[in-house]
Amino acid sequence: MAVDTLRIERILRSLIAAAEGNYEVRVPLDDVEDEFLEVEVGVNFLLEELVLRRTENQTQHEALVARGEQLAVKSAALVAALSTPIITVWPGVLALPLIGPIDNERASNISATLLARVSSERATHVILDLTGVEKVSTATLSSLLRLVRSLRLIGTACLITGISAEAARQIVGLGVDPTQFKTLGRVSDALALVLSEKQSKRPSGAAHPNYRADPS
Amino acid sequence: MPFVFSDATTPSGNPYLRIETSGHVTLADGHAFAALIAPGAPHHRGLVLSQVAKGTEYSPDVRRYFPTLNEHFAALAVVVTSPIVRAAINLMLRFTRSGDAVLRMFTSEREALAWLESHGQARRSA
Repeated sequence: MAVDTLRIERILRSLIAAAEGNYEVRVPLDDVEDEFLEVEVGVNFLLEELVLRRTENQTQHEALVARGEQLAVKSAALVAALSTPIITVWPGVLALPLIGPIDNERASNISATLLARVSSERATHVILDLTGVEKVSTATLSSLLRLVRSLRLIGTACLITGISAEAARQIVGLGVDPTQFKTLGRVSDALALVLSEKQSKRPSGAAHPNYRADPS
Repeated sequence: MPFVFSDATTPSGNPYLRIETSGHVTLADGHAFAALIAPGAPHHRGLVLSQVAKGTEYSPDVRRYFPTLNEHFAALAVVVTSPIVRAAINLMLRFTRSGDAVLRMFTSEREALAWLESHGQARRSA
């Protein structure tokens, strides 16, 4: 079967456009009966399928991006919650065990969350445990010291525990006055100290705030 | 409506589903056709004659859907005069990849009805 070169050129034009990502260039069809017409219609079918697939892919891509964004928001919220695990270890005594690296953003979040919690619980003491923190950057240390000063301003004493040898060297190297805050080895030491302070301040015979005498 | 359905009877009294087809046929039209030939429907495993107008087009999804309906009719005669539409239907038939499809294209309704008659007689004698 002889095929008019013009018809072959038309098909090539559509194929070249498709190869460049343009699937809209259809093969012009002449309503004339011959076997080549099926090839021309077939190329147009293929182009329509490509348009459909591209649209489907775009929709799936958009759905995946949206899902990724939702997951990122959820993980950020989860990380924020886990990065500031404040525990009430005794009425009026909060402990904050810090784990992992602390950048400026996290230090800022810790500060805001802790101050809000101190305020809402009327905490008298905060134990800041750095056992899980290997290295403290200069910026982080400054942030933590600001936090200690802020706590002092609202009448809350801050005790720092678990300072590693590396962190201790950094603190001294930065010229920070260690007397600005009270440091202890372990959280249990800090808690014992706080409790003994509270005990000594309590009038003799006064019960612990959580203690309820048997009415009988 | 690309599909206009009606109940008809061949000259020798065989009932068949008649479809006037024109315009852009979509998957929704395909589903409407499927409902009439599905198991339990009046034209299940029956005869069908489709008169397809020049310029009729089929959406990609309905092109893939039609071949799944082959077992729901006994014979489908397609009357088509446009070579372009005939080429499109031929390609759809190639998608079927099944020799079971009893579908033939005709250029005249008289020939199509005669072919359907032969299938109707075969069904009656079976």
